Amino acid sequence: MSPSLGGAPLLTITGMVKEFPGLRALDDVSLDVHSGEIVAVVGHNGSGKSTLVKILAGVYTKDAGEVEFPASTADEPTELHIIHQDLGLSMQLTAIENLGIQKRQGVAGWAPFNKKQEIAHARELISRFGEPFDVTVPVGRLAPAQRSIIAIARALDGWKHPRNILILDEPTEALHASEVRVLFDAVKKLAAQGAGIIFISHRLDEVLDLSDRVVVLRDGRKVADESRERIDHDRLVAHVTGVAAGEAETGRVGRPHGDVVLEVENLSGAGIEDVDLTLHAGEVVGIAGVLGSGREALPALMFGSVPSHADRFELGGEPYEDRSPAESIRRGMGFVPGDRAKFGSIRLMTARENVTLPELKSLTNGAGAVSTKRERAHVMELIAKYDVKPPRPEQVFAQFSGGNQQKVVFAKWLRNNPRVLLLEEPTQGVDIGAKQALYGAIDAAAAAGAGVVVCSSEAKELVRLCDRVLVLRNGRVAAELSGEDLTETRVVLEGYGLGNEGEQ
Amino acid sequence: MKKTEGIPTVTDSGKAVSSGSEWRRLLSFQNISAIYIFVVIFVIFSILVPALTGTQSFLAPGTWANLLDTQSLTVLAAIAVLIPLTAGVFNLAVGAEISFAMMLCIVLQLPSAQYQKDLGLALGLPWPVAAIITVLAGGLIGLASGLVVTRLKIDSFIATLGMSSILIALAYLISANRPFSVPAGFGSLSAANIPLGPFRLTLPVIVLIVIAVVGWYVLERTPIGRRMYAAGFNPDGARLSGVNVSRLQLGALVVGGLIAGVIGVLASSKFGGSPGYGNGMLLPALAAVFLGSTQFKGGRFNIWGTVLALYVLAVGIQGFLLVRVPDWITDFFYGVALIGAVAMSRWERTSKRLGAVKRATTLGSKK
Repeated sequence: MSPSLGGAPLLTITGMVKEFPGLRALDDVSLDVHSGEIVAVVGHNGSGKSTLVKILAGVYTKDAGEVEFPASTADEPTELHIIHQDLGLSMQLTAIENLGIQKRQGVAGWAPFNKKQEIAHARELISRFGEPFDVTVPVGRLAPAQRSIIAIARALDGWKHPRNILILDEPTEALHASEVRVLFDAVKKLAAQGAGIIFISHRLDEVLDLSDRVVVLRDGRKVADESRERIDHDRLVAHVTGVAAGEAETGRVGRPHGDVVLEVENLSGAGIEDVDLTLHAGEVVGIAGVLGSGREALPALMFGSVPSHADRFELGGEPYEDRSPAESIRRGMGFVPGDRAKFGSIRLMTARENVTLPELKSLTNGAGAVSTKRERAHVMELIAKYDVKPPRPEQVFAQFSGGNQQKVVFAKWLRNNPRVLLLEEPTQGVDIGAKQALYGAIDAAAAAGAGVVVCSSEAKELVRLCDRVLVLRNGRVAAELSGEDLTETRVVLEGYGLGNEGEQ
Repeated sequence: MKKTEGIPTVTDSGKAVSSGSEWRRLLSFQNISAIYIFVVIFVIFSILVPALTGTQSFLAPGTWANLLDTQSLTVLAAIAVLIPLTAGVFNLAVGAEISFAMMLCIVLQLPSAQYQKDLGLALGLPWPVAAIITVLAGGLIGLASGLVVTRLKIDSFIATLGMSSILIALAYLISANRPFSVPAGFGSLSAANIPLGPFRLTLPVIVLIVIAVVGWYVLERTPIGRRMYAAGFNPDGARLSGVNVSRLQLGALVVGGLIAGVIGVLASSKFGGSPGYGNGMLLPALAAVFLGSTQFKGGRFNIWGTVLALYVLAVGIQGFLLVRVPDWITDFFYGVALIGAVAMSRWERTSKRLGAVKRATTLGSKK
């Protein structure tokens, strides 16, 4: 801690633990924040940083640990304000109305507006962070950085003293580089006035730019807590990935590949521009990239659930122009979406019904009815094969645990031996045991001749599974890694656009 | 792993469940509450009706045969609501579709020489031709609703509510806002029957049985039905599993319209044409569909649950009418039944979900 930050910390977190079934999301995490300090909390998806914010926000309850405000006194109670990634603004309302929403509750909500006074008040709040802007137009028409400022101004409105805690959760996600400046200047001003800031981010360059101290979380544990002067880019990457340069695990080599099963040229659509991809039977190709790079958009475009255009799109040697999910399935594609509850399953139907939904023809008898006996036997076999627990085909999908739900989804797509299997975050929200089982299923599918595309935010997972990884940035393929080059560090660095620095 | 210890607490109709507890589940109040409600209603009125009116009419077989026949059209209306709802779309236009079909079927049969002046559709057609045209018109109306829902992407609640108002207007337009009696000879259609012991199975009842059996078979036995349920539960998820959700919804609304056309033909053969007749059928139909979803299938809309629910509600109404409660009690009763039924189906889903959450958390804490 820098010596200038005397006195008791504003916020102290000690020994915080949070467990989910089969997963320890936070493991003995301690952290303190002093007045005037900007503390960055960094980590990959699943490192525990969002769990930490959600506990502080009261969304989750902690299983163990303490949260204290040592500097809080009766005269000067420490307040804690959180600005979530989506800002929580009502886009149709003006800045004034958004600023007033929290205050004007209960009886105060019936009082008439004093427009002039409110405009003046709003301007004053905003001008603390730089040039004021129009506060009378709907927030949706303002620039993203201006929206962030309104959200911060709203959090600050009513602070009786500046020595409070402000948490910014991934605040730069929607901002351009120039706007990030505006936001950072505002945050620095606040800290200079005595606020303690927690800045959650996965953008390493911004973290190094803004923070006084960097805390790194990995797999729920705090792995580093160092002042800005003592940390540089390489060390930060090593902390985040947990892999020191040189000792990295590399991608798989020497797996036999068959013919080309999927040939895509210049695929463009929402979030994706001119992506080429050639996939062989038995090959596993990874898609990496930070959030917003197009990584999460690509599989839906290929599967046809989102419209797209490609100069050439050939599946199994045949051109396939008008893509739709039904037609893709008919041609032998399978798609495991990232959002299991919304897209990957019918939660209120049974495991049996979920598994057989994409293809019921082979289970239909002469009278046009699904043969219950054959369907049950078939699903029972798959449930045993993929080790779904409990092994009950008649249990409603929603009542399985996350890992077993995903096994059911895998069974659904693998049962007819797909030619091309598209996987989006295949092990999200899944416990370690199920994760290994799913990896095994992916290996087996590739060995059986499927071409597999895995989109994942977990570099480790990609290195474990893939022969080759395409790293996307701004919707385009920025790098292709394979063999020796396919390491966690390279995947992460290329994702941030720092490939050259990593090679020094 | 201790995790497996949590599994026996998961109660569901798995293979391991003994036949005794399977029976208990089948006969549980939650599974067949409508039958228990029916018994209660039956007992109350078989005591009340003789006591208050001095007749045995509630227990007379004629009362029941009559009930079966008069309510069969409302049950058909409920099926016309049920089929689209299974695929995730409301068909609030069913009442207006029936009204319109009734007027169309009658007006088409009116002698042109006499009516052509103010009724353009008075073509003097023989009743079988008029009936076929009416049923097809019902299908076309369903197609129109379906296109509004699937192509214009307008929420089915709004789309069919709007359609309903348009159809009521059209029913008045084609009939010049006049009621008509049953044309000569046409009445024989709804009166046609097969004697069956003391009862007579009238044509509306036979049509109901046929449509219900076909509907049940398609919904619960075929891939189409499976996909319709999937589309109703989660349209996005179903689409990604290869289900053509909009085509199913469109088709379901067309089938709903065809059934409404059939109801219109049967109703006009029985009652003639009154432009507002069908409008009162929407609420009982909706109430029966939602109450029916709480029966047998644990929260799923289903044909037999719907049929049962409607007859139970109708028996209740019949009892009220026999003890000379004023007519408005019908509307009151169906309103309460609709809200109560939806609340019950919500409650059932929530309790199931809470149960699942509880199990998930006990699994977690035992670790």
